[in-house]
Amino acid sequence: MSGRVADAATNPGAHVGPSRLAPWLAMLAAYAVPVFFVLAPLTLFLGYSFFSVDQGDIVFTPTIANYVRFFTDPIFLPIFWRTCLLCLAVAVLCVLFAFPVAYFLTTLRGRRRYTLLVLLLVPLLMSYVIKIYAVRSILGGNGMLNKALLATGLIDQPSMLFVFNLNAVLLTLTVLLIPFAVLPIFLSLERIPKALRHASADLGASGAQTFWRVTVPLSMPGTLSAMSFVFVLAIGDFLTPQMVGGQSGFTFGRIIYSQFGTAFNWPFGAALSVILAAVVIVAIRLGGHAERRHGGAR
Amino acid sequence: MMRLADRLAPALLMLMTLVVFVLLYGPLMVPIVSSFFTVSRGAVDWSQPTLSAYVALMANESVLNALWTTLIVGAGAVICSVALGTGIALYYTSPHAKGRAFLQFIIFLPFLMPPIITGLALLIFFRQVEFERSLVTIIIGHTVFVLALVYRTILTRLQSLSESLVEASYDLGASRWQTFRLVLLPNLSSAMVGAAVLAFALSFDETMITLLVTGTQSTLPVRLWAMMRLGFTPDINALVALVLLFTTILCLVAVRFLMPKSAIEGSDED
Amino acid sequence: MNEAGVLLKLRSVSKSYGATAILHNVDLDVRDGEFITILGPSGSGKTTILRLIGGFTKPSGGEILLDGRDIAAMPINQRPFNTVFQDYALFPHLTVEGNVGYGLAVRGTPRAETAKRVADALELVQLGPLGKRYPAQLSGGQRQRVALARAIICRPRLILLDEPLAALDVELRRHMQTFLKSIQTEIRTTFLFVTHDQEEAIAMADRICVMNAGRIQQIGSPHEVYYRPSCEFVAKFFGENNLISGTLGPANGLTRAIETRAGRVLCSVEGQPDMAAAPVGSRAFAVCRPEAVAIGDEAAGENRFVVSIDQVAFAGASTMATASSVDDPTLSLKARIPSRPDGSTLSPGDAVTFVVPANACRLVPA
Repeated sequence: MSGRVADAATNPGAHVGPSRLAPWLAMLAAYAVPVFFVLAPLTLFLGYSFFSVDQGDIVFTPTIANYVRFFTDPIFLPIFWRTCLLCLAVAVLCVLFAFPVAYFLTTLRGRRRYTLLVLLLVPLLMSYVIKIYAVRSILGGNGMLNKALLATGLIDQPSMLFVFNLNAVLLTLTVLLIPFAVLPIFLSLERIPKALRHASADLGASGAQTFWRVTVPLSMPGTLSAMSFVFVLAIGDFLTPQMVGGQSGFTFGRIIYSQFGTAFNWPFGAALSVILAAVVIVAIRLGGHAERRHGGAR
Repeated sequence: MMRLADRLAPALLMLMTLVVFVLLYGPLMVPIVSSFFTVSRGAVDWSQPTLSAYVALMANESVLNALWTTLIVGAGAVICSVALGTGIALYYTSPHAKGRAFLQFIIFLPFLMPPIITGLALLIFFRQVEFERSLVTIIIGHTVFVLALVYRTILTRLQSLSESLVEASYDLGASRWQTFRLVLLPNLSSAMVGAAVLAFALSFDETMITLLVTGTQSTLPVRLWAMMRLGFTPDINALVALVLLFTTILCLVAVRFLMPKSAIEGSDED
Repeated sequence: MNEAGVLLKLRSVSKSYGATAILHNVDLDVRDGEFITILGPSGSGKTTILRLIGGFTKPSGGEILLDGRDIAAMPINQRPFNTVFQDYALFPHLTVEGNVGYGLAVRGTPRAETAKRVADALELVQLGPLGKRYPAQLSGGQRQRVALARAIICRPRLILLDEPLAALDVELRRHMQTFLKSIQTEIRTTFLFVTHDQEEAIAMADRICVMNAGRIQQIGSPHEVYYRPSCEFVAKFFGENNLISGTLGPANGLTRAIETRAGRVLCSVEGQPDMAAAPVGSRAFAVCRPEAVAIGDEAAGENRFVVSIDQVAFAGASTMATASSVDDPTLSLKARIPSRPDGSTLSPGDAVTFVVPANACRLVPA
């Protein structure tokens, strides 16, 4: 299949094209999988959100009942806002950790800089489930954190502050997602020409003044896209809350997941997913918007 | 003469970086280290190291099955995504291409949207078209998930090649197939290998989509997920240690193929 | 130790990166209020001098004295100098006003005063109405002016300009040369201008410091470096020149003869004690500009070369005639003669005499 596509694709000019058929075949080959396995399922999914369930069977009559239910039921909206707030907090925390690290990377040169960067990114490809598990084993009631606090005498019995609640979700997600924040911030910092920092010092600015007046504003696109990146990853995650959130750590992702499991209300789950997708699109837009605006001023 | 803040800043930055490294790698050390000790009633017995967890793991049929499933799924997803990614990248750069932006948008959807949405959409879709959930559905799920990255990697390389390279090949009398095989493929191969490794690593780790589209089989992360929800057992730790070792190796291989040479060799100019 | 009129003094300053030496023992005085140009081919170390003065790099040896005090360890932000960077280094996130006012803002200057001085500086560089624009919305020449306004607003004692015109096209470049020079005259601030363009240096500078391979070759007025080169490099660096190799004869007051294969050439050694004192018999070049060469037996001048014309190149106002000496066929000489509207000129193969007066010939060591 790819050979067929290649044939048509590498042809440098339309005017030398062999027959009228080849371009159509190439187009078919290129579009088939994305349309069939991405576009079609997502469209169907969107359609499902307007259906309803009656005694375990799906009723294929369009209705907006699912959306009405979301906005009127006293359970879902608070969880939705709480989840958004939680993910925003995760995004802010990740940036607070990632910014100094990214900045430190830019002060290194050549090989050392990239070695450290790779070391920061390696955990990204490490098993997500394992990382959640590992963090949980530290946060748990008799985990490392509590043992350390007990040993230092700061507390006299295991603290339950970080066990099976939203705090645990917040901390775990932050630890998991820091590397995602490092990369965009590092890239935007790296793009700032050294001459601008020199120019700032040349005009009499101190190191701190240069940092706040030049480096921070110019790294804003990277920082915002890091935030939107982390936010999107955090809000879509249902594994972490499930693993470390316990009963009180209920998040929007978990609710959606439960609609397809225990609650078994697929149309409602689809409607909730559509709302999730809308939030994600807004977040991506906000992150990307800053990128374009500042990119244009360069 | 330097202000105190200017002097202190580098030390603080280094400290912060150290903290982040501890946060990233510290937790992973716990299961690795404890995999060499026995666990009894939820507490690790530190008295003497043992490989018993690894021995137990080797006898664990379900884990071995999951590993095998994961490898098959990974291989399937890699083959499909690299073939598709290369084809679509070639199509994207061809003058005939129609609706480039739209095509790219579709490809990027599963990458941008939370995996739960992709997974649920596929789940509903498979049910609607009455396609039995199986290894094939997992492979499809993984393929659409990793496709964006594979496609992007290959497209970037393709666009870095000069157009005159292809024209020169035609000029010298090569056919289109010969041009692809003799000119484009050799230049794309390292990007394709890098993309393949990356795709495999992502597939190896994919959990959320898999949980939703799997039938009866479970891949390693799904199996781990199920085991972990039950609690802290020594063979989980052994499995975690092995998986981490394997993914680290995969990462290093991916880096070797994808990092620009200049970045690896480094430049120390002022 | 502070000589009158000297703002900045470089004393045997050197710079090396690892084993690679960029500058060797450079001595340079920058005088108060002058327009000094550091000129040299790329890699000559000219930009390094600017970076050392600006504080962007530290010297490996020697001293940089400001008012007699070594400023090698002084941080960039405390030096009373400002720089116009090669690619302007304008802050993309700030408006023109923000850029120009930056130096005042970081010093905590009151807003009203800042606004006033920014307006004045923009007026000076003729950018009055563009204050609210962003750098990306400006043309190359306008960015250049913003960079200049930004550098002069803090009233530095010295303005460093790092090839600021390199990115502009020829037309704009000429215009900016005049403009820069007029600004410098108006604000009476010392300008240290780095360039690789000989014409630019000659057009703007009060003094030119010619660099090559990390060493200063000659410092002097544009006229001096053009007509009185002190070494072979400088003699060849500014456009077309005639270099005739030979051995020195005895000195005779303000003139000295050099024996060449094309005969004896009498040269002026006025103001060149080194060449006047060089031992008899040492190798040297007689140097004379093509425009100093007259053609024809009746022309006045001590040095005469019988030549055969090889090539005649019309170059607008003047015509360049290239010829070989009859006495030494390896010697090629050039003469720049006024072009004639009627088109009459020399032809290849013509046998003529090139005449050069002794006071238009200088000696440089070989």
